[in-house]
Amino acid sequence: MQKIFLPTILLVLAYGFWISPDFKEISAGVAIFLFGMLSLEEGFKTFSGGALEKVLQKSTDKVYKSIGFGILSTTIMQSSSLVSILTISFLSAGLIGLSEGIGIIFGANIGTTTGAWLVAGLGLKVKISAYAMPMLVFGVIFIFQKSKALKGIGYILTGLGFLFLGIHYMKDGFEAFKNTLDLSTYAVSGFKGLFIFTGIGILATVVMQSSHATLVLIITALSVGQISYDNALALAIGANVGTTITAIIASMSSNIQGKRLAGAHLIFNLVTGLIAIIFIQQLMQSVDWISTKVGIASDDYTLKLAVFHTIFNLIGVLIMIPFIGKLVTVLEKVFKSEPAKKGKSKDTVRYLNESVLALPSTSMAAIIQESRHLYENAFEIITRGLNLKKANVISSMKLEEVIQIPYSDKPINIDEYYNRKIKGIYGEIIDFSTKAQAQMPHDFIEELYKIKLANRDIVESVKGIKHLQKNLIKYQSSPNEKIKKQYDKIRIGLAELLRNINIIATTDEEDVIILLLSKAKIHAQRYDILANGTLDTLIRNQLITNEMATSLMNDSTYAYNISQNLIQMAEVILIDRTGHIKNLEEEIHINEEEIENLVDKKEES
Amino acid sequence: MKVKKFIAKAKEYLGLHEFDIKGKRKSVTILVEKLRAKDEELRQNKGKNRDEKELHEELEIIDLHIKKAEEILTKLNKKKAIEEK
Repeated sequence: MQKIFLPTILLVLAYGFWISPDFKEISAGVAIFLFGMLSLEEGFKTFSGGALEKVLQKSTDKVYKSIGFGILSTTIMQSSSLVSILTISFLSAGLIGLSEGIGIIFGANIGTTTGAWLVAGLGLKVKISAYAMPMLVFGVIFIFQKSKALKGIGYILTGLGFLFLGIHYMKDGFEAFKNTLDLSTYAVSGFKGLFIFTGIGILATVVMQSSHATLVLIITALSVGQISYDNALALAIGANVGTTITAIIASMSSNIQGKRLAGAHLIFNLVTGLIAIIFIQQLMQSVDWISTKVGIASDDYTLKLAVFHTIFNLIGVLIMIPFIGKLVTVLEKVFKSEPAKKGKSKDTVRYLNESVLALPSTSMAAIIQESRHLYENAFEIITRGLNLKKANVISSMKLEEVIQIPYSDKPINIDEYYNRKIKGIYGEIIDFSTKAQAQMPHDFIEELYKIKLANRDIVESVKGIKHLQKNLIKYQSSPNEKIKKQYDKIRIGLAELLRNINIIATTDEEDVIILLLSKAKIHAQRYDILANGTLDTLIRNQLITNEMATSLMNDSTYAYNISQNLIQMAEVILIDRTGHIKNLEEEIHINEEEIENLVDKKEES
Repeated sequence: MKVKKFIAKAKEYLGLHEFDIKGKRKSVTILVEKLRAKDEELRQNKGKNRDEKELHEELEIIDLHIKKAEEILTKLNKKKAIEEK
C-alpha cells in the first residue's frame, strides 16, 4: 500500500508545483508548519524527564483529572497526536490504566481546539511572521548549546517559529491562489457537501498526520474565502476523525493496552463526528448564539469555526464520559489479551515494546515493570524449589506450618522452568535496556545499570535454588533430626524473606519497607554457620556426618547468596522509584557495620 | 558568561538551587515522622501476643533508622544554612 501511496502523493505534489506557484507556497507552508510541530515535540520530550511519572500519578488517578491532564498537556504542546502517542507509551509501560488513558485522550480532543482559537484569533489577525524570525534565530542558537534545558528551549522556540512561518505562507498562498483559481466555486452544499468535505478532511489529516495542520489549512483557506463556512465545518469534522490514524499507527508497535486505547480514540472520534454530522444544523445555530453572546462578528467565520470545533468536541466528551466503563469492557472483549500461559509454554515479555521508547521515563518504567514480572516468575520457581506452596508463603500462616505442607513429593526440574520463565525474558530485558540506553540521559543510565544488576540478581537466585534443591529434598525426610532441623531453618529463612519481599512489593508504607529490608539483612547473617558456631557444635558433638557438614556448609552459602541477591533486587526494582526511600538512596539503608552491631545485640538478648 | 554559569545564575535567581535539598529534606522529615509513629505502635504492642525477641529486634532497627534519618536531616540543614550565608 505504502509503495503506491507515497509515489502517488509525490507525483501529485510535483505536478501541482509545476502548474501553480501558489499551490507550491501553500504546500511549503504546510511542510514548514509540520516541521515546526516536529521541532516542538522534540523540545517537549526534552523536558518530560523523571518528574513525568509523579505528575502522571497525581494527575490521572481520577477520570476528571486525566481529562484535565489531556486538556492542559495538549494546550501546551499544541499536538493531540503527540499526547496520544505519549499516552499509548504510558499505558504500554503500565504507568496508567486504560480508563485514565481514555480520559487523557478525551481531554486531548478538547485541548486541541485551543489551536483553532490561537490561529483564528491571533494567527490571522496579527502579522505573526514578524515574530517567527527572531524565534528561529534564538531557537537555533539555543539548540547548539550543550545544556539539555537550553536545547529543549531551542527546539520549542524554533518549533513555534516554524509554526508561525508555516501559517504565514499558507495564508499568503491562499490569497494569491484566489487570483488564479477560486476554490469556493467548488463548494458543495447540503448533506452531500457535508459528507464529501468530511471525507476530504479525513484524507488530508491522514496524509499530514496532524489534525492541527489540517485545521490551520482550513482556517487560512476560510479566512480568504477559498472555502465556504459550511464546507469548512465538514472539513473540521473530518480532521477530527482523521487524527486517530496517528494513534492507530503508534499502537501497532505497542502492547494490547495501547491497541485498546487507539480503539477508544477511534470510537470516540467516530461517535463525535457522527453526532456533529447528524446535528449539524443545531450545532450551527448554537455557534451563532454563542458567537453573538461573546461578541464574535456574524461574518467572522474563522472564529466561528473555532467555536464550532470546541463545542462539538466538548459535547462528544460530555456524552462519552458516562460510557468510559462500558468502553473499557467492550475494548477488553475486542482486543483480548493472550490467556495466561499455563503448563509447558514459554513466557514472554509484557511491557517491552517499541511504543514505550517514546520517552526515557516510559522506557525506564517498562523495564522496571518487566523486571518485576521476571521476579514474579523467579518467586514461583524459588518457592517450588523450596518445595513450598506459593499461596502459603504469602499468607499469614506460621512459617513452621508453611514448611510442613510440601508443593510436591518429587523435585521440580528447575532447568526447564528457567528456560521457560526466566531466560527469554531476562535476555529481552537486557536487549531492550541496551536499545533504550541510547536515548537516555546520564542519570537514567546510572539507574538502568542498577536495574540490570538487579535482574542478574534474580537470575542468580534461581540458579542458587537449583543447587540448594537437591539436598533440601534429600534431608527433608532424613532420619537425622539435627540435619533435618538445619535444612528446615534454611527453608523457613527463605520463606520469610520471600514473604517480606512480597509485602515490600505491595506496600507504599515506607516505615514498613525500611523495617523489613533491615530485618532481612540481619536475618541473612544466620546462614553464616561457621561464624555463629552452629557447624562447630554439630561436628564436635558428632550430631551430623562429615558429608552432611559439607553439604550444610555449601547450602548455607547458597542460601546466603540467594538472600543477598533478593534483598539487593528488592531495593532496586520493588521500591516505588518516586517515593521518599528512593529519594534518599543508599543513605537510609543500614550498612555492614550496623548489621553486625544489630546481630551482636540480638545474640546478647 | 559560560552556559553552566548562566544556568546556575538563573537557578539561583528563580530559587531552584534549593529544590534538590528541599526534596530530600521533605523526604527525610516524612520518613522520621513515619518511623516515630511505627516506634510508638510497636511499643504499644509490647506484651500483646507478640514475640518479645522479635519486637525488641524491630524496635532496635527502627531506633537506628530514626537516628540515621535525623543525621541526614542535620547535614541537610547545615548545608542550607551555609548556602544562606
